[in-house]
Amino acid sequence: MDFSLSIIVEAWPTFEAGLITTVIFCSVAGVLGLVLAVPIALAQLSRSWSWRVPAQVLVEIVRDTPFLVQVFVIYFVFPATGVPMSSTVAGILALTIHGAVYFSESIRGAILSVPRGQVDAARAAGMSYPLTLRRIVFPQMMGYVLPPIGNQIVGLIKDSAVLSIISVPELSMAFQNVLGTTFAAPEAFVAVAVLYWLLTSAVTLAMSRLERLTPTHRSTEEMTSLLAKVDR
Amino acid sequence: MTLEWKYVTQALPFLWEGTLVTVAASVLALVLGLLVGIFVVLGRRSRFKVLRGLIIAYMSVVRGTPLFIQILIVYYALPALGLDIPRFEAGVIALSLNSGAYISEMIRGGLMAIPKGQLDAAKACGMRSSLIWRRITLPQVLVLILPPLTMEFTGLLKSSALLSVIGLVELTRRAQQVIGETLRSPEVWLTTAALYFVMCFALGAVTRRLEKSAAAYRL
Repeated sequence: MDFSLSIIVEAWPTFEAGLITTVIFCSVAGVLGLVLAVPIALAQLSRSWSWRVPAQVLVEIVRDTPFLVQVFVIYFVFPATGVPMSSTVAGILALTIHGAVYFSESIRGAILSVPRGQVDAARAAGMSYPLTLRRIVFPQMMGYVLPPIGNQIVGLIKDSAVLSIISVPELSMAFQNVLGTTFAAPEAFVAVAVLYWLLTSAVTLAMSRLERLTPTHRSTEEMTSLLAKVDR
Repeated sequence: MTLEWKYVTQALPFLWEGTLVTVAASVLALVLGLLVGIFVVLGRRSRFKVLRGLIIAYMSVVRGTPLFIQILIVYYALPALGLDIPRFEAGVIALSLNSGAYISEMIRGGLMAIPKGQLDAAKACGMRSSLIWRRITLPQVLVLILPPLTMEFTGLLKSSALLSVIGLVELTRRAQQVIGETLRSPEVWLTTAALYFVMCFALGAVTRRLEKSAAAYRL
């Protein structure tokens, strides 16, 4: 089997454009998702059911349906209700909601990992709940929250490949275009796999660097034993 | 806008057939994925450097690239290598190669949970390592990984929707066909989502039960 780099070089502009779109989509959805994830996590932990139930319903719906079907629902159901929808908006919306729900699960776990007594003590000392979160809970939970969030950002990048189905011009769309013009050259398969792999590896590396900067950074062994306690 | 449900009720048996294909593909992928996972765990401890290297590369590729791309690669690239495989088989192969990597991590976790003393005791009794695997290690590991495995099965039910892209007529593809006939896209997608939801939600309840009983088993 021949393998010629010239095919990849020729198709590079297509790949590059797709790669940039993937990065933009994932960055926007990732940031929006993280911002939305905090209120979802807090709502799930709320004592009042009027907060808890809607949050839980959203989380269950997103977790128990395929991402592809979520994309189709957003892309096709909204226009039918009179809300105009483009593939860009639908794509970002689907990724954002999906990301927000999965991020919120990690954030919820991390909030629970901060000892309850500290929260009670802060409240008893007269700190308001938002202040307790900002001063006591959030700084301590960073060490717990970053590893799963890193995995979920990688997951987000991988899920974004699905958006080519509603013709978002991202990396896997670029790949399919190259497949068409090169008659399914094996080089195209290698190129797209390597590009995604580089992207996800870069995120993994960056997240582990970031983890080391957190004040509550712990070794993997310590983390597993601590998390095991939290589960119980 | 008014939703018209009568076309969907007519199409339900048709969607149901697709659901069966979705379930069949996911079950097969889970079983094959379990075999792949066991092979990966054993291969990682192998004496052969090449095999260990290949497995590390496999894990890295599976976890670092989208499943969507993996499915396309299996479907389009294997025929280019001279292997002509039908859609269903190609889809199941792609899914099981993908989930095998994740299942191998579960097995590794399960193995770590088995006390080393048991293996020493088995060895002291004169059991060969293959027998220790069959009688001591594997049965316990299988019980320990049952809850994460059901979770993986839920994941497979959801990711098998991607097989519609290579033209496998499972639930999602059936939904697209119904839309082609009835042009009632919102209703059909909501129904399809509901079908997936019922399956995955029920499995989630099973997982939580299994987690409880597995925790009891650990004591």
